[in-house]
Amino acid sequence: MSILEDFGVNPLLLIAQVVNFLIILFILKRFMYKPILEAIKKRGDEVAEGIKSAEEGQKKLEVALEKEKEILTNAQIQAEKIITSAREESGELKKQIEENTRRDTERLVEQSKETIKEEARQAEERLIRRIGEIAIALLEKSLGGVFGKKEQKIILKKALTELGKQELL
Amino acid sequence: MASFAPEVIFQIGRFPVTNTVINTILVDGFLLMLAFFVNRNISKIPGKFQLIAEYVIGGLYRLTESIAGDKTSRIFPFFITFFLFILIANWSGLIPGINTFGIIEQHGGKTHIIPFIRATTSDLNTTLALAVVSLLATHTMSLRVLGLSEYLSRFIPFFPFIISVLKGKPKFSLDMSGPINLVLSIFSPFVFVFVGLLELISEFVKVISLSFRLFGNIFAGEVVLETVSGIFAFIFPLPFLVLELVVGFVQALVFSMLTMAFMIILTTPHKEAEEVSHSSGV
Repeated sequence: MSILEDFGVNPLLLIAQVVNFLIILFILKRFMYKPILEAIKKRGDEVAEGIKSAEEGQKKLEVALEKEKEILTNAQIQAEKIITSAREESGELKKQIEENTRRDTERLVEQSKETIKEEARQAEERLIRRIGEIAIALLEKSLGGVFGKKEQKIILKKALTELGKQELL
Repeated sequence: MASFAPEVIFQIGRFPVTNTVINTILVDGFLLMLAFFVNRNISKIPGKFQLIAEYVIGGLYRLTESIAGDKTSRIFPFFITFFLFILIANWSGLIPGINTFGIIEQHGGKTHIIPFIRATTSDLNTTLALAVVSLLATHTMSLRVLGLSEYLSRFIPFFPFIISVLKGKPKFSLDMSGPINLVLSIFSPFVFVFVGLLELISEFVKVISLSFRLFGNIFAGEVVLETVSGIFAFIFPLPFLVLELVVGFVQALVFSMLTMAFMIILTTPHKEAEEVSHSSGV
């Protein structure tokens, strides 16, 4: 054992170093390796999960985009349909409105024509009557100095009858 | 630093506090501080410190995993603790000027400085202790993984035979198919006994080789550095310092890797090892 003594091997130191190393081993294992490895593992798991959910999200997005396209296409088709039918309807409506307007206008024109005719007739009548009166009045004035009262009466009566015949009174 | 033995700075009772013991305490303190900071700063989004810790610990874990496979969780704590402890201890002796603080001693007309701090791995006590821990841990692990019978049959190859005799059904057969086979089957038990003996001796040799390799490398390194610094103190020692940094790293790795290798070998059952060697074409 003299070799060991030469190297300064001391049982006390030896045991102390063994115990020291075991303590360090325990503490480091408990407070350094374990939490770090757990943290690494946890993060790895989370990243894996994240990637997985991202992929799922991508898939869902693709499906949604497809659906969106479909919906948009359908909507376009429907919109075109609606526009076409609206155009047709509006054309018809226009025709109808034009028809109605034409008819109304014709009716109005007809009515106004009749009104004008009537008014013209009435005006003519009034004019004739007025002409008659004027004629009588003229006759009275012009007969005053020329004929006696009796003749005057006879002439006027005749004139009145004549005017009545001519529908001027 | 002429003596192999560490210098005693003071005594506590019968316990000699040597400069390597002081160094051990400092290394412990450093590692504990490291553990404390790592433990305190762990968060989901790692900071710089945690990143470094994760890089080192995670990297060593993957290294262990690639070699040890399913035994990683058992072996890893030993592997990394040996590595870190030895690495820090080796490098702690390389801090420039660290061994200039000490007690001045007159010896035979010459003045010596007995440094307060000397790398703990340049003390055979420490390296021997580490080797003993490595050996004990390896054997404990082997016992746990393999069970007593399988464990003992490595060192006492006729252990299964003894058990079979004790059970009353001795398993012993002679191959009578030819004279050569007969001779072989008679002699093979002796070969196995010899192999078992070799295995047993190799376990003790492991301790010696592990401890002396580490001790020799680091001690020699310190001597070299001291000598070189004695020749010319400026710039000249730098390449040697770099060399010793590398040696410190390599020796830490060698010690921990060898421990891991021994652990794997001793926790692998005989049959499985045979299957592995057959399947790999060896």
